[in-house]
Amino acid sequence: MKAWSIAHRTLVAAVLLFLPAPILIVVLSSFTKAGYIGFPPGELSLRWYAEFLGSADWLATMAISAGIAALAALLSTTVTFLGALAITRQRLPMTQGLETLVLLPLIFPHAALGVIMLGLVGIFGWTGEFLGLLLGHFILTIPYAWRPIVAAMRKHDLAVEEAAMSLGAPPFYTFRKVTLPLLRPGMVTALLFTFIISFDEVTVSLFLVGPDLSTLPVKIFSAIQDSGSPVIAAISAALVVFTMIIVFLLDRVIGLELFVSAEERRRPAA
Amino acid sequence: MRLGRWAWLLPLPLLAVLGLFLFGLGELVWSSFAGPEGFGLDRYRQFFARPDYIDVLFRTLWVAALTTVVSLFISYPVAYFVARYRGRKDWLLVLIMLPWLVSVVVRTYGWIVILGNRGLLNEFLGWLGVIDAPVRMLFNTTGVVIGLVHVFCPFMILAILAVFLQLERQLEEASMSLGAGPVETFWRVVLPLSLPGVISGVMLVYLMSTGAIITPLLLGGLRDRMLGTQIYQEMFQLFDFPKAATIAVILTVTAFVVVLPLQWLERRVSRNLKGAA
Repeated sequence: MKAWSIAHRTLVAAVLLFLPAPILIVVLSSFTKAGYIGFPPGELSLRWYAEFLGSADWLATMAISAGIAALAALLSTTVTFLGALAITRQRLPMTQGLETLVLLPLIFPHAALGVIMLGLVGIFGWTGEFLGLLLGHFILTIPYAWRPIVAAMRKHDLAVEEAAMSLGAPPFYTFRKVTLPLLRPGMVTALLFTFIISFDEVTVSLFLVGPDLSTLPVKIFSAIQDSGSPVIAAISAALVVFTMIIVFLLDRVIGLELFVSAEERRRPAA
Repeated sequence: MRLGRWAWLLPLPLLAVLGLFLFGLGELVWSSFAGPEGFGLDRYRQFFARPDYIDVLFRTLWVAALTTVVSLFISYPVAYFVARYRGRKDWLLVLIMLPWLVSVVVRTYGWIVILGNRGLLNEFLGWLGVIDAPVRMLFNTTGVVIGLVHVFCPFMILAILAVFLQLERQLEEASMSLGAGPVETFWRVVLPLSLPGVISGVMLVYLMSTGAIITPLLLGGLRDRMLGTQIYQEMFQLFDFPKAATIAVILTVTAFVVVLPLQWLERRVSRNLKGAA
């Protein structure tokens, strides 16, 4: 038993080192002074950060990525909120079907999703355009907004609203003062989660970008294939910082443990 | 609060967007059947007539299966450890969730730096004197599987952990106090109760490995192709949308053959567990 326990702990420690290792190495090697990427970075400098921040091209791509992620997060959280509000409160004939439909994009391999989105976007003539990317990310992030929002709605007790109303609060007032505050953690979680899913998405975006428009992860992907300049590491470090901020906020809003457990609750009740 | 008789209007925007997705899906399937000589299975016949495509199909299955199995074996002990950890779990969760949410390109890039011929690992092994010439770890299946396991095993850990977090520690204590040893408790209590998490983790990791493009392309190169990279190539080097669509349908079927039965199994297992509780 003792030996088992040691083996178990060693394996856990190894995996918990394995997971952050490549990220840490990218971030550390971004501080190199050399003209090629490598680890250890050797002599240190911030020249690749200077190059990144001095490049209008990279900064514009970052702004596009952030814009798409923010809009996709807002859109998918809003439409999901409306849909979830209806099905958690009203007996609608479409409840089961709607849930299956919402989670449907999750069971497609990403490469296939990419082709589907490309075909869809082509119909609107949005190939390689901002709206095309936005539509793709909108569809892609809906399942991720659905889980936290529905979990929050199912958790809270409708009796609180009835109490407010029976004490004389008008419906809209009740909605604003009672319902929304109760749902706020779920909504903020949905916004943060969909934002980061969209911001870091690369496989489907690969199909939607065009010659004049790219997202940050796709541009990093092309840059890795073309050059391998350490500026990629500096930009990657910026992406890591973005992700860290989101994880930190998720921890503040609902707590990481609750976030992980909520993942379980989202599954359609068997 | 009742929503009134206009409630059915609320889900309409959601339905409209998802309708677009279904429409895109329909278009994909349609273009895979609509050949130059009319409607039929021509494109599928062309696919299965090419031995190199069959190779790609089998390599995809093999790599996805290998990735799933390795992920399961390293993830289960971690999920168990985190669930039973008595201190604050937040720091452990950060170590899992941060890599999970950092973009796939960034993580794959890290593996290039580590696994390359002049990368960290080869330099280190050379410095130790274990090897004379660099070991090839990039642009082959080893590199792809390492990368894919790294990219997808957080999904597995989180799926299993989510189940563990809902599980009462008392169940194990009860089993032990009734005389079962730790090994028996694990096999007869812990493992069966965690099965729904294991199944959904396996489902997710298999699904995502079959459809990966970035990691196989960057770590496997053009020789070690998978269905995902093949789709990418047909689309962006040969601009053949119908062919890409055909491969995408084959890829989806490949994934569904495994995913749909697992989904069914997961529901059954969860229902049985709920019934027993």
